[in-house]
Amino acid sequence: MSSAAELLSEIRQSSERRPFEVLKLAEPLLNTGKISRAEDVWLVYEQVFTAAIDEGQIELAKTILTILQKRFNDSQRVRRLYGMINEAVGHPSEAKQLYTQMLDADETNVLASKRLIALLKAEGHTKEAISQLVTYLDTHANDFEAWLELCSLYLRHHLYPQAAFCIEEVILQQPANHYFHLCYAEICYTMGNLGTALKEYLRVVELSTDNVRGFYGVKLVADRILDLGNRPKKEQQDAALGDAPQPATLQRLSQLATERLVYAYNRASESSRKAAEAWLKK
Amino acid sequence: MSGLTEGIDQEMFLDPEIRNWVLFPITVIMVLVGIFRHQLTILMTGDPPKPEIKDIRQGKALMRGQLLAQNNSYIPAAAFAERKRYLCQAYEDGTYLKNKENKDQSPANLMTDPKNMEVMMDGMKKQMMGIIPQTLIMGWIQFFFSGFILIKLPFPLGLRFKQMLQSGIMTPNMDVRWVSSLSWYFINLFGLRGVFSLLLGGDNSADGIRDMTAMGTMGAMGQQPGQPQDFNKQFLGMKDTLSIIYHEWDLANIEQRVLVKYGKQARLFKSSAAK
Repeated sequence: MSSAAELLSEIRQSSERRPFEVLKLAEPLLNTGKISRAEDVWLVYEQVFTAAIDEGQIELAKTILTILQKRFNDSQRVRRLYGMINEAVGHPSEAKQLYTQMLDADETNVLASKRLIALLKAEGHTKEAISQLVTYLDTHANDFEAWLELCSLYLRHHLYPQAAFCIEEVILQQPANHYFHLCYAEICYTMGNLGTALKEYLRVVELSTDNVRGFYGVKLVADRILDLGNRPKKEQQDAALGDAPQPATLQRLSQLATERLVYAYNRASESSRKAAEAWLKK
Repeated sequence: MSGLTEGIDQEMFLDPEIRNWVLFPITVIMVLVGIFRHQLTILMTGDPPKPEIKDIRQGKALMRGQLLAQNNSYIPAAAFAERKRYLCQAYEDGTYLKNKENKDQSPANLMTDPKNMEVMMDGMKKQMMGIIPQTLIMGWIQFFFSGFILIKLPFPLGLRFKQMLQSGIMTPNMDVRWVSSLSWYFINLFGLRGVFSLLLGGDNSADGIRDMTAMGTMGAMGQQPGQPQDFNKQFLGMKDTLSIIYHEWDLANIEQRVLVKYGKQARLFKSSAAK
């Protein structure tokens, strides 16, 4: 029993969403009542609530909600759970009303702001979601997860310069995380900003050895720049080459990328190896 | 004559009734009063004032500038330049300030800010809670338990302490190690901290020493709790910091670094021109 509680706590820490496992782990705990002696029983309830909603077990969610409401009578954290149930059963307008009420009462309520934005996004009102998120970020400029969310919203609308701005904010806050550099590299490449894209891909493979996506990026961009060298001047000027390296270096980088990719795929399954080889030979 | 008596270890036999009726009661009373104070303080202190949205915005805007100054080398020059320009302008205009109109006023009138008043009142209340019981107990001990010796200290002290520790007793020759009830009070004051930590948890309000230091500081300077910070000054300071930064992109030389990392190139110690 105690190990189940530990596992649940680990899942909470990593903020993963694994509703099936959570429910499976938590059900015996809740039924035998053993969990009520643990310190983080209310956290577990909250966790199971979210899992229940994810799995569509609305009745279970409602039961948990009544328990939580009895204990924490006047809690904003519990109130937003009401909003979440409304969203789950398909009453978004009521949920929206609840969140707006919470925000009117207390402007600084982060939980309500985020739920409202999530609601708008789920309903497909991305433009409204974006404007709400921008207002939120005007106040809480150091919430890098919010910047990530905004970036993904912009990408849905193919607004690449804005998305790039958001990722730059994220990188400012988390400069050592190679994944964010990867996102930035891919946005730059899509925008046609080849110089920056190459450097960012290189950063990815520097931070994360043998990163396959990174090396794909390096190869693609390096080859592209080399290719552009043979194209007319106008095309060269259009692609923002910036301070791209000399052709010799580009060749070496491209070869390095090919080599590392071959090495990586040698340990992969037969089919992917064949596919990679075919692509690399081109 | 006094030279002779000082050398001899003075032995005195104390009435055990003293031990029962003075030593223990003083300690017990002090412990009880401490616990009582602690609970009362918990009842009396209100919640800390919730930050308003404009305060949060102000603070985070400053943090944003700090972050930019700190991590500027991880984003390309153009990105940095754009942010620098925007933030410097915003700091100068006071876009993020809570009270934009009062930008140039001195912060003296921030004292009358209602939020700060609450914080100050809370602080004052806490100090009152500390001083009054102390004074009361001291007076009670003086009144009831003066004029006799209570205990013998296990360590010797200098003659100067005689006046303080044997306050009610006028004997020129008695060893300083025999002390009166008031000094037992002081011993308890310092010693019961450990007991209170055990009983009430770490951060308790029954600590006598904290009150004494608080009394000292209160006399020294006027109350400045929570520091109504002058954000305008801080913004302008941050603006200066940002404007003098020389941006060097961390990725300027990354091709070489990657080639070296994967063993394709020997590490060059002189940065050669080959790009």
